[in-house]
Amino acid sequence: MGNKVTEELLSTVRTIVGSAYSDMDIIRALHMANNDVTAAINIIFDTPSFKSKERSGFPKKPKLLSSDVVNSNQNGGQKSNCSLENEGNGGRCPSNSGDDVVEDVARCESLMGSEWWFVGCREVAGLSTCRGRRIKAGDEVDFTFPLKSSSISPSPGKGFGRGRQVAACSEIVRFSTKDSGEIGRIPKEWARCLLPIVRDKKIRIEGHCKSAPDILSIMDTIVLSISVYINSSMFLKQNKTSLKAANNSTEETVVPPLPTLFRLLGLTPFKKAEFTPSDLYTRKRPLDPKDSYGLCAPMLLANKPKNPGRNGGEVENEESISDADLDNIVGVGDSSQLEEMDPPSTLQCELRPYQKQALHWMIQLEKGQCIDEGAMTLHPCWEAYRLADKRDRVIYLNAFSGDATTEFPSTLQMARGGILADSMGLGKTIMTIALLLAHSGHGLSGSHPTSQSSSEDIEISDISDHSPSNLPKKVTSFSGFDKFMKRKNTLADGGSLIICPMTLLGQWKAEIETHAQPGSLSVYVHYGQSRQKDAKFLAQSDVVITSYGVLASEFSAENPKDNGGLYSVSWFRVVLDEAHTIKSSKSQISVAAAALVAGRRWCLTGTPIQNNLEDIYSLLRFLRVEPWGNWAWWNKLIQKPFEEGDERGLNLVQSILKPIMLRRTKFSTDRDGRPILVLPPADIQVIYCELTEAEKDFYEALFKRSKVKFDQFVEQGRVLHNYASILELLLRLRQCCDHPFLVMSRGDTQEFSDLNKLARRFLKGSQNSLEGEAKDLPSRAYVQEVVEEMRKGEHVECPICLEAFEDAVLTPCAHRLCRECLLSSWRNSASGLCPVCRKNMSKQDLITAPTESRFQVDVEKNWVESSKVNILLRELESLRLSGSKSIVFSQWTAFLDLLQIPLSRSNIPFLRLDGTLNQQQREQVLKQFSEDSDILVLLMSLKAGGVGINLTAASNAFVLDPWWNPAVEEQAVMRIHRIGQTKRVMIRRFIMKGTVEEKMEAVQARKQRLISGALTDQEVRTARIEELKMLFT
Amino acid sequence: MANSNLPRRIIKETQRLLSEPAPGISASPSEENMRYFNVMILGPAQSPYEGGVFKLELFLPEEYPMAPPKVRFLTKIYHPNIDKLGRICLDILKDKWSPALQIRTVLLSIQALLSAPNPDDPLSENIAKHWKTNEAEAVETAKEWTRLYASGE
Repeated sequence: MGNKVTEELLSTVRTIVGSAYSDMDIIRALHMANNDVTAAINIIFDTPSFKSKERSGFPKKPKLLSSDVVNSNQNGGQKSNCSLENEGNGGRCPSNSGDDVVEDVARCESLMGSEWWFVGCREVAGLSTCRGRRIKAGDEVDFTFPLKSSSISPSPGKGFGRGRQVAACSEIVRFSTKDSGEIGRIPKEWARCLLPIVRDKKIRIEGHCKSAPDILSIMDTIVLSISVYINSSMFLKQNKTSLKAANNSTEETVVPPLPTLFRLLGLTPFKKAEFTPSDLYTRKRPLDPKDSYGLCAPMLLANKPKNPGRNGGEVENEESISDADLDNIVGVGDSSQLEEMDPPSTLQCELRPYQKQALHWMIQLEKGQCIDEGAMTLHPCWEAYRLADKRDRVIYLNAFSGDATTEFPSTLQMARGGILADSMGLGKTIMTIALLLAHSGHGLSGSHPTSQSSSEDIEISDISDHSPSNLPKKVTSFSGFDKFMKRKNTLADGGSLIICPMTLLGQWKAEIETHAQPGSLSVYVHYGQSRQKDAKFLAQSDVVITSYGVLASEFSAENPKDNGGLYSVSWFRVVLDEAHTIKSSKSQISVAAAALVAGRRWCLTGTPIQNNLEDIYSLLRFLRVEPWGNWAWWNKLIQKPFEEGDERGLNLVQSILKPIMLRRTKFSTDRDGRPILVLPPADIQVIYCELTEAEKDFYEALFKRSKVKFDQFVEQGRVLHNYASILELLLRLRQCCDHPFLVMSRGDTQEFSDLNKLARRFLKGSQNSLEGEAKDLPSRAYVQEVVEEMRKGEHVECPICLEAFEDAVLTPCAHRLCRECLLSSWRNSASGLCPVCRKNMSKQDLITAPTESRFQVDVEKNWVESSKVNILLRELESLRLSGSKSIVFSQWTAFLDLLQIPLSRSNIPFLRLDGTLNQQQREQVLKQFSEDSDILVLLMSLKAGGVGINLTAASNAFVLDPWWNPAVEEQAVMRIHRIGQTKRVMIRRFIMKGTVEEKMEAVQARKQRLISGALTDQEVRTARIEELKMLFT
Repeated sequence: MANSNLPRRIIKETQRLLSEPAPGISASPSEENMRYFNVMILGPAQSPYEGGVFKLELFLPEEYPMAPPKVRFLTKIYHPNIDKLGRICLDILKDKWSPALQIRTVLLSIQALLSAPNPDDPLSENIAKHWKTNEAEAVETAKEWTRLYASGE
């Protein structure tokens, strides 16, 4: 190309001349016009034979000079006519439309069938695209809308920025008169917002000319009057249309057309939305780092990159947010002015004033929306408009999705219930029991609205409707809802269903039995293999208590409805205790909870957000707080703005939560300004321990080794790729701070730790090869003997070293030896003979034998106290006389194993609670710990101790190792410092000086400093690497 | 050889040999070298060696238990699997050695070998031939040798 024709020029001309001319034509014209746009346009329109053969307007093969001589004369004159069609006056135009024009208007008329509402009328300045044609005031004009750009096949990669032209062209709306054909086009902003909704037959426009120059030339202004009508099909139930919003939301930055159209029409809402997209999209103001929000956002953001939610599984070092941050995010409303309500007489305990307030609040929320003030509040995303229609209609328009409705969109929508988010220790359980007693649902079955069940039908299908198709993961996880779709009104009307972690089943039952007058509530614990599945049975209990595990398993079962169980009952009320359990919206448990049929829904949780703002989404979905149960909306209006550092996302969350969440903390005050809860003081201190010489040597060696590995990762720039390995390195170092033996504990026996499984494996092996080398295999009796021997943990020695096994392996012939002994007896490293029976085997055949002890060394025999253990023993010893009980937390159960040795030796009676105990055993342990005054110590794994358990019998807590996340520590410790605690509480956290533990503390502190507004992904990554580097300095 | 370096396994085996000796067998380590054992095996009943007391020496090489102990009869014995230097033809002392075997099991095997000579796998060709051609006469010779050399002197 000799003269450079810039893309800009090209597309400028293109917008005027339209798609009927090929790039080459335009380039040619620009050439001739010396790149003068107006001249080029004139050349194109004035030269009758200018257009090349290509008629599609989007030539697939731009022809070069060969296309110079073209003969498509007639086209110039008739083009507009044959490609014209009027949306509103369908059928009046010739119907042989070109292939870039909307076609079947007649059909769509019948499709809609419904009414058109007159929205408004506005003058619009059109631009003429022709010269010489005539239009006069009062002439009716028809509008032509191009088809979606997808129907045109753009040819990518051909240069000239054609992709952009395609987009530009497909947005041109032309108008014409019957007499003169195409006259001009309407302004881009109008075209852009009209196009999609006219295509969807939601909007119809009519227009006539108001004024125009007598003789038109290119780019002249023609004043049109455009009247806009909206189809009443737009006002379908809001939740129906929102599906479309979800689908369209792929173009997330595109402002929905309808609100824009309303704006263009000059309509002003008589009630404005609190938030509009323009607020969000035009954010300019940098975040004030001192903003309370600015403080917490990065905390949540930091979690984002590593929270891909693969399976909802917990990442070990998962960081959650602290209580204070949580309050900043969700906002602590001033609830001191809430009314109090006296509990029913069947509640056999005194409620504190703030608990009575909660009862009042909960009862009010359960009564339903109309009464509640929240329901009278316009949903913050919606604005109200009065239409110009004579029927004087008010419509509500969602400023974000563009949905319209004639029904008042309130903040509450369908939610009945809410989130009781009082912080730990304020007695959420007792408040809930008061609610159960005040309104059990049973005995009211007459007043149980019959429409309830049918509306549930809709709600259920809504959820599956809402699953946005642009989020495939969600769709698959939601497919589970299909099986509930056919639900009829056949569900049994049930009472209240309480879902809690397995650990709390007993506590719930016990608390209800203690606090409810006997006979006032029937309680059934729905748990275990033999649980009753009969719907009628489940429905007749006033309260059914079950675990999340049971819920998930009944949800995933085939035909859950027909099989009875939780899904065959329409519950009066569902209460999720420790509701953050469902925080991961993709997890099955979250989907399962949302699928329950219930009239009233409650979430109890002290931590409505644990890691991510997204946690709230799952709760709102369960609560049916529309439209936030729709991921697309949530993501678009809250999650994204929030992640992009826009505080409005957060404000929106707060305004959603405000009416449905009650949160008080221990620091909340009543209306007289007194604290609502007075707890005995807590004395919290960090004990800095020092490594002994021997420990130090060991630690240093381990540290050096780890650092070499870490530095390798840094060098390769693969730190984040090796995140798991690095965490493992850190884990070893952290364990070493507790006791060097922990580093020698074995992790690989899990697979075969089930002895029966092991026996089966052997026996299966011998059955499989009965014919072949059967006699080489151990006899059934022998295998059973070996397994029995291992089960009993009998003292058997390795036949080679004649010592107790160290890291025992099992041969395929069921002989046990130390791994080391066996391997060193082999001449080659991969295979050899069994030293006992001479059977040939290879290394892969060996099984790590399960043992009682997880340590490679005989810890009992070689027991040495570590520095931390020493300090702990000293502390416990000094407490022994006072008889005050202590809880010892560690995150490693192996460390608890070790601690048992010195405790036994010092004759300190102790119990142990960890994840291996089943429900009954746990209850037993907890009961014994609170009741038996001889027991002084409870060894507890941090994880097992995190939730719900009430341990106020103890007044001391020792946290032996720091957790990544102080919130988890806090939660565990608060098990003793809570309502019911009468004694002064002492909490001791152990930190090993000069080790990774100390650096972990520093990292936590640094995190707070790092925060200065939103970080980009890259910055977050860098920050994470920096943090890791800190740990390895 | 430094006895202090003795592996725990050898110490353990020694202790057990001394505290719970196998019937008809005694083994005690030499004072200078704990890897060197003086062994005595009583001739098993109903064998040509009944009534005899046979002295052996047993040495645990450095590689023990990954390598077999070296064992040799010091007492002259008329046996098809034992040559005149006292060397013993026993598979577990050679290629069939396994670290799961111990001094005790080795000595028990040798004791068993006395009860059941195996002329098909001979070490001493002449004696084996004698055994095969005229077992009664060979047994008589063995008894004679037992009287002559293993009478407990």
